[in-house]
Amino acid sequence: MNDLVPVLGGFLSDPFDLIDIPVREWVTEFVNWIVATFREFFRTWISPPVRGTMEAIQWALTSTPPLIFLAVLFIIGWRAASWKVGLFAVIAFAFVGFMGVWYELMITLSLVATAVLFCLLIGVPLGILCSRKDWFYTGMRPVLDIMQTTPPFVYLVPAVMLFSIGNVPGLIATIIFAMPPTIRLTNLGIRQVQTEFIEAATAFGSTPRQILWKVQLPLALPTIMAGLNQTIMLSLSMVVIAAIIGAGGLGLEVYAGLERLNIGQAFVGGIGIVLLAMVLDRITQGLGDKGPASRAKKSE
Amino acid sequence: MGCFGVIRAEGVTKIFGPDPESILPLLKQGKKKEEIQRETGHVVGVNNASFELEPGEVFVIMGLSGSGKSTLIRCINRLIDPTAGKIILKHPERGEEDIAAMDAEGLRHIRTHEMSMVFQHFALFPHRTVLSNVVYGLEIQGRDKKEREELGRKFLAMVGLEGWEDHYPFELSGGMQQRVGLARAVATEGKVLLMDEPFSALDPLIKVQMQNELIKIQQELGRTILFITHDLDEAMRIGDHIAIMDGGEIVQIGNPEEILVNPRTEYVANFVEHADPTGVITASTVALPFKAPHFEPAGEEGGLSYYVRHGYPDIRFGVDNQGCLQKLVVNGEEAALADLDEALARERTGPERRVDTTVQCNEDTILRQVLRGRAFTQLPVIVRDTEQRITGVIDEPELIHGILEKRGYALTEEAASA
Ligand SMILES: Nc1ncnc2c1ncn2[C@@H]1O[C@H](COP(=O)(O)OP(=O)(O)OP(=O)(O)O)[C@@H](O)[C@H]1O
Ligand SMILES: [Mg+2]
Repeated sequence: MNDLVPVLGGFLSDPFDLIDIPVREWVTEFVNWIVATFREFFRTWISPPVRGTMEAIQWALTSTPPLIFLAVLFIIGWRAASWKVGLFAVIAFAFVGFMGVWYELMITLSLVATAVLFCLLIGVPLGILCSRKDWFYTGMRPVLDIMQTTPPFVYLVPAVMLFSIGNVPGLIATIIFAMPPTIRLTNLGIRQVQTEFIEAATAFGSTPRQILWKVQLPLALPTIMAGLNQTIMLSLSMVVIAAIIGAGGLGLEVYAGLERLNIGQAFVGGIGIVLLAMVLDRITQGLGDKGPASRAKKSE
Repeated sequence: MGCFGVIRAEGVTKIFGPDPESILPLLKQGKKKEEIQRETGHVVGVNNASFELEPGEVFVIMGLSGSGKSTLIRCINRLIDPTAGKIILKHPERGEEDIAAMDAEGLRHIRTHEMSMVFQHFALFPHRTVLSNVVYGLEIQGRDKKEREELGRKFLAMVGLEGWEDHYPFELSGGMQQRVGLARAVATEGKVLLMDEPFSALDPLIKVQMQNELIKIQQELGRTILFITHDLDEAMRIGDHIAIMDGGEIVQIGNPEEILVNPRTEYVANFVEHADPTGVITASTVALPFKAPHFEPAGEEGGLSYYVRHGYPDIRFGVDNQGCLQKLVVNGEEAALADLDEALARERTGPERRVDTTVQCNEDTILRQVLRGRAFTQLPVIVRDTEQRITGVIDEPELIHGILEKRGYALTEEAASA
């Protein structure tokens, strides 16, 4: 009887001591199992296309003479948004160049471009699927929530275990982290298309596929572009974090600068990233605002 | 033309709710829409609607909001699947097909080639130019670009929108947008045109203009049109037949005059009460029939038999043995007989009404024209059939009765004796 008193007291003061859920062990074992089982698969099937794409883009960007690059950039900004945006982009990029980190800028841009490309290639079809199959969307939602709310650092560990260090694991982590807005907004954009347009297309005998390509996707385009814009911003922030596991570019400047307490170096990298973010944001927003679908919406 | 692509609906029924089939027996028992909704939560959209479109006609479905018009027209091209009933498409080569039982492939064929649709809020694709909207159906038909643009331009010109090809729908006024909608629908060259309140969103003036153009296009292209409206004047103006819907049921089908003159239910009567009868009711309906007891013999003279109207001995009608009016004698003097249309074309009506001439019209002359005739002469207007035989006479009492009661004497008498 007397033995019961200390046990009870212990329970009252620390009720969580009684039961121990070994989540740490479970996760460790699970990740170990995944790594052991899938490492080969990931390294032979996932790494090469990502690496190949990235290297191709990187080669194209770094081997373009900066002056030509700036000229093309101006034209892109001008066509996508306005001549002001084109001019702003050129000034911003030139400034980064004058700070002495042009090469790093190109590396970061190629990382972002690769990540965004894969986000689109995977995210848009998934978004379309979500919009057409309610059960798929129901299943996808918690996954999207997890992808978006997990702190970005958490992606890095399994990525390193699966792909070792370097650009590729950084890219994989970036792709996963940045993809949800593309999926969500593709789904949303398609679901938001008014039934009257679907009805009209159906009444003229369109197949579901024709409705998708001729009506739903074009009308969803402004929303999809908004998703793309978010994806770009997210991938830019992640590419910087990925410097910790060996991704290069401006993120590495920041990371290395901080590590060596070289505030100036970190700042240069930081300014470069902010300017790149602003340029990409203005250009993609401009793209989203163009096109008859969004102009029609505005005139309503 | 023949009887290409014409439609017959047989007992089409649509019930909204979790178990529509279970409601069918209740409807058979004669339960009303409200009862079923209260007891089972199911909404009866359309109940047992049957009708037939004749080739080249405009068939109007009319009814108050919520009476099931949109549901019915959407059953015809299966944008909504009917719960029961048949929708027979009479096809020149393939014979009769039931659209209600058709698979996806067959439906697509029907929608691309046999019937097209015009929507109340236009439903033009906002991301496509005017021309590319018009050719949408042709694109789905798989025609090549050059051919469909040629056709698209042709139909755009037909609705009076040349030069607007490269604009976007939001740059156009409502009336112009619906012209595009109309061009898009006729461009597929389907035989049947479904129109769900196409002009309801337009200003009154534009509306009348569009109605006239629709009739013109319909005559030019020989399409059969199923047209929905809640505007009686619109229905009367363009409809060859009108079906009136109430609570999901068709309560009366007839031509405009039948509906106006002989409404079968209280609902229909309320509907037509404020309609303008002068453009719909015809001379034969309002005329006092030229026979006993309204007219009595008043002797023979010069091979003609004379009659007078009961109570009006001063006007004597001299009729030959064919039944044609040859002489009108007013107070002993012979009055001239003129053709109504010719007389009106020749002389303007003024404050002076003729007492020495009267006019003759045909049985299908509309009331409005007869009134113009009465402004021309003080004498009764004579109604003739196609063989020129006198069949009736229209004097003040008939006109007043026709306008106020929207009924003819003949019908009033039938109703009284029944
Ligand atoms: N998808 C639906 N689910 C449930 N009920 C519906 C649905 N569509 C229509 N209804 C009901 O069916 C009935 C007929 O509607 P319908 O739209 O055909 O009327 P309408 O005659 O076209 O009216 P309006 O003149 O307002 O267009 C209404 O009671 C409506 O509430
Ligand atoms: Mg409707």
